[in-house]
Amino acid sequence: MISVTNLEKTYLDDGTPTYALRGATFTINKGEFVSIVGPSGSGKSTLLHILSFLDRPTGGRYAFLGKSIDELSDKELAIIRNEKMGFVFQAFNLLSRLSVYENVEIPLFYAHDVAPSARKDRIEKAVASVGLAEKLYVEAGKLSGGQKQRVAIARALVMQPDVLFADEPTGNLDSQSGAQVMGILDDLNQKGHTIILVTHETYTAEFADRIIRIKDGKVESDLKVNAPRRGGKEFFK
Amino acid sequence: MRIKDSLNTAVDNFKHGKMRSFLTMLGIVIGIASVIVLMAVGQSAQDYILGQVQGIGSNLIFIIPGGTNGKFQSPAQSQGIVITSLNQNDVDALSREPSIDAVVPLVSGQAAAVYGDNNMTVTYQGTTANFFPVRNFVVANGYPFTAADVAAYNHVTVIGSDLAKTLFGPYMNPIGKEIRLKNTTFRVVGVLESKGTGPGGVNQDDLALIPATVAQSQMLGITYFNTIFASANSQYDISFVKSRVQSVLERNHGITNSSKDDFTIETQQDILAILGSITSVMTLFLAAIASISLVVGGVGIMNIMLVSVIERTREIGLRKSVGATEGDILQQFLVESVMITFFGGVIGITIGAGVVGLVWVILTKFVGFAWTFELPISAIVIAVLVSTGVGLVFGIYPARQAARKSPIDALRYE
Repeated sequence: MISVTNLEKTYLDDGTPTYALRGATFTINKGEFVSIVGPSGSGKSTLLHILSFLDRPTGGRYAFLGKSIDELSDKELAIIRNEKMGFVFQAFNLLSRLSVYENVEIPLFYAHDVAPSARKDRIEKAVASVGLAEKLYVEAGKLSGGQKQRVAIARALVMQPDVLFADEPTGNLDSQSGAQVMGILDDLNQKGHTIILVTHETYTAEFADRIIRIKDGKVESDLKVNAPRRGGKEFFK
Repeated sequence: MRIKDSLNTAVDNFKHGKMRSFLTMLGIVIGIASVIVLMAVGQSAQDYILGQVQGIGSNLIFIIPGGTNGKFQSPAQSQGIVITSLNQNDVDALSREPSIDAVVPLVSGQAAAVYGDNNMTVTYQGTTANFFPVRNFVVANGYPFTAADVAAYNHVTVIGSDLAKTLFGPYMNPIGKEIRLKNTTFRVVGVLESKGTGPGGVNQDDLALIPATVAQSQMLGITYFNTIFASANSQYDISFVKSRVQSVLERNHGITNSSKDDFTIETQQDILAILGSITSVMTLFLAAIASISLVVGGVGIMNIMLVSVIERTREIGLRKSVGATEGDILQQFLVESVMITFFGGVIGITIGAGVVGLVWVILTKFVGFAWTFELPISAIVIAVLVSTGVGLVFGIYPARQAARKSPIDALRYE
């Protein structure tokens, strides 16, 4: 599904190059739950942004579902982001003045293959899947942090993406809310969604069945693990 | 993104910041209202002025002493120089011309009109009996003086309705009474129907009309006329009649080179055309001045939209991350800007129409002008198009700024 070969990302800061990624290489298959971990400044967020088509690499090759990012225009990247990818951000990125319904509806505005008449059903199902059916018409700004992140997950799911990218999804949450969010991601992976998670928390990373460790812009290790936290239903108790 | 979704999103943003949206559109509201008021009032003023000229009579030709040398300059008479080139010979010669129905000479002066203890300074006009039908002056009480009165130097007068009220009050019948004009006694034989203000703002209801012979010989001591009106025979083309008048007068005055004419001829159509173009230019000029405020309003909208783009940078990043293309973001911000200016335009038109109505009420009910309520459809269409255009033109830069943002930079914006 995802194939990365010698991926590089260099920023120019006042003419001085800063190397965020220096030749990362790996593949991710459909249905995997992958955690990308590493210390602050290691390049893990940069990697996630490139994998999720929010940014372009400056070197190497990245292919998503067989298509190289270099061959795709910005418009084509936007369409793939809309149809194939879902995003969960650390800062939720909800529009607080809008209701849960309206926030989850946003990706549907840009969908080419979802009829307006099908929107309501999709939104209700997505919101119900994160356990917030009763909050459908509540203003997003009035929700707790955990609820906001669950709305963000519903928004990511509404287009039924192939892969879900999560950038420190528990970073702004208390432990109980964080556990709930991870439980949802775990559940989604059980249902066949590919999950790619960036985190610096070992505890959160342990939900994945594969952990890619990044250091100084390079893949330091890429290990299959037995996912000790999988099926962590106790977090909902 | 469908336009309907962009509109819904724009309405949400509009509702979210009602005060800001209102203040943003205020410039457009004022600009459009100003343009509407000036175009409508300009149109009414044009109708009013042209109506006044048309009310003088029909198919009229004005002959004024003094030439223009073919250049655009006023005849000498209007510059205070007395020209004596038009006289009774001209009137007689023109009266024999088949293409002319009637000829009306005119001299005028100012004097105090006195009856008993009442007096009023008036403009008296010495003319002939043809004056009444040619100039559309109707005698409401009594009768107009006749050609025989003019020929016999009879001291008779037809007075305006305001003058009659001032001298005789509301109850006394002026007919047969004697008034004094410049120490000469005149018997009132008729009172004119009220005619209101004429061209040039002259009150036509305080006139005293007297035989031209009396005015020339006994009041002014002159033998020339200030103006001659000729009523063209409607079977002839007015420009042909104009050329005939020119030929007759040139022959009478012994002029062989028309550039040396000592008179100026204008037809009613000439004057209407000149006044029409002057008032049209004035209306456009005023509307152009008013449209400056539209530009100012447009810059205000651009400013607020740029602020909005900065404030909503993370929102732009979010929308792009979930699939919005540059075109989607451009469309959304343009729709927002056009919506603000469109509603600003609609409110501006409504306020403008209200002001035009108020002007109409004041001028007709309180000032007594024969003012018409004009709200040209063209002005409304132009206002809507211009306000929408302002939204497009001044919204395009902020919208492009928003659309060009990189999704990741926008999401990282603090």
